Amino acid sequence: MRNTLFSLFGSGAPVAMAAAVVALVASVAFLRTRNFLYDALALASTEAGFALLAAALAAGVLWSRTAAGIWWAWDTRLTAALVCGLVYAAYLMLRRAIEEPTERATSAAVVSVFAFLDVPLAAIAIAWWRARHALPPEGGPPPGWGAPASWNALAMLVLGAALTVILLRREERRRALDAQRRAALTL
Amino acid sequence: MRFFRQVAVVACKDLRAELRTKEAINASLAFSIVILLLFSFAFDPSEDTMREISGGLLWIVFAFAGTLMLNRSFARELPNDCLDALIAAPIPASALFLGKCLANYALVLAVELVSLPVFGIFYNVHWAKQFPELLLVLLLGTWALTVIGTIFSALTVNIKLREVMLPMLTYPILIPALMSAMQLTTALVGGAAISAENVDSLKMLIGFDIVFTAVSLALVDTVLVG
Repeated sequence: MRNTLFSLFGSGAPVAMAAAVVALVASVAFLRTRNFLYDALALASTEAGFALLAAALAAGVLWSRTAAGIWWAWDTRLTAALVCGLVYAAYLMLRRAIEEPTERATSAAVVSVFAFLDVPLAAIAIAWWRARHALPPEGGPPPGWGAPASWNALAMLVLGAALTVILLRREERRRALDAQRRAALTL
Repeated sequence: MRFFRQVAVVACKDLRAELRTKEAINASLAFSIVILLLFSFAFDPSEDTMREISGGLLWIVFAFAGTLMLNRSFARELPNDCLDALIAAPIPASALFLGKCLANYALVLAVELVSLPVFGIFYNVHWAKQFPELLLVLLLGTWALTVIGTIFSALTVNIKLREVMLPMLTYPILIPALMSAMQLTTALVGGAAISAENVDSLKMLIGFDIVFTAVSLALVDTVLVG
């Protein structure tokens, strides 16, 4: 049970990291080309990554409870994942707060660049902070779990990619609908 | 040279406007004193506890009071379409941004330098044992707060939920800088010097300032002009 949780916890987060890279590349591409397809891709991969990160965080908390007996032990990776989640939650909230599509896409792309640069700094700061404090020791993968864990990571990657494609198509449809509504209003 | 003159003009304009109306600085000062007072009810304000949590307490006060100030930075330009005039002015967007940053920096620092003695009086903490180092941490940490706050203030100026969105965006991004500033401040207020144990935090602060100043300057054109 604990090991199953650990492998889920261990592989959702790297896939979320890959999603953040895709979101960064798409955001920069949007700022350069102003093609809304890139904006939709940035949103879709951020949302997919956010979902996987949330699942990984929940699994991580449960794993910490079963392995160490406490819900939240300020584990370096879990804390960094939480900060990453907060930063990208702000990105998703900002998108909801802006109505106008071009302004929303531009502002969101800028925030995405800031968020991407912030996460490694936060991870380093947390690791340094943790090294100086007497906190419970960190857990690692159980022995002999290398191969299943990497298969699991691959599965998570496929899941993340599938989610991204679904969310991308949803965002494109939503935009088409929005454009029609605007056209109808101007008639 | 011309660029720096333009920066100075914008900074002076903002400072003059703020010092004449005092709308943000009064609110920010009153707010920081109220929070400092409220914290004393949250826990037993003995000298030892205070020294241990001084960094966290002070930077939470600074971050909250700073956001109050930064919220006004671009919102002040909205009446009479002053923001459009500023963007249309023949100066680069980066000069406008740096000018506003410097003005905010001076104002936030002023609030912090008033809050520090108030903190010392309320909690009987002898906070000035390592004053030059503490000032360095204040200068670096406040620059991080100001640069992130100013760019996001520009980004959120046209949003209806501006007052909510600015802290939502700035605090998570500021976590590395605030964390380092809190640890350094706690050590310095406690009387310890900057040593091998906490020099990492100082490096993090400097790195954060450099990275985000550079990114903000690179992206400010996109933020302001679109």
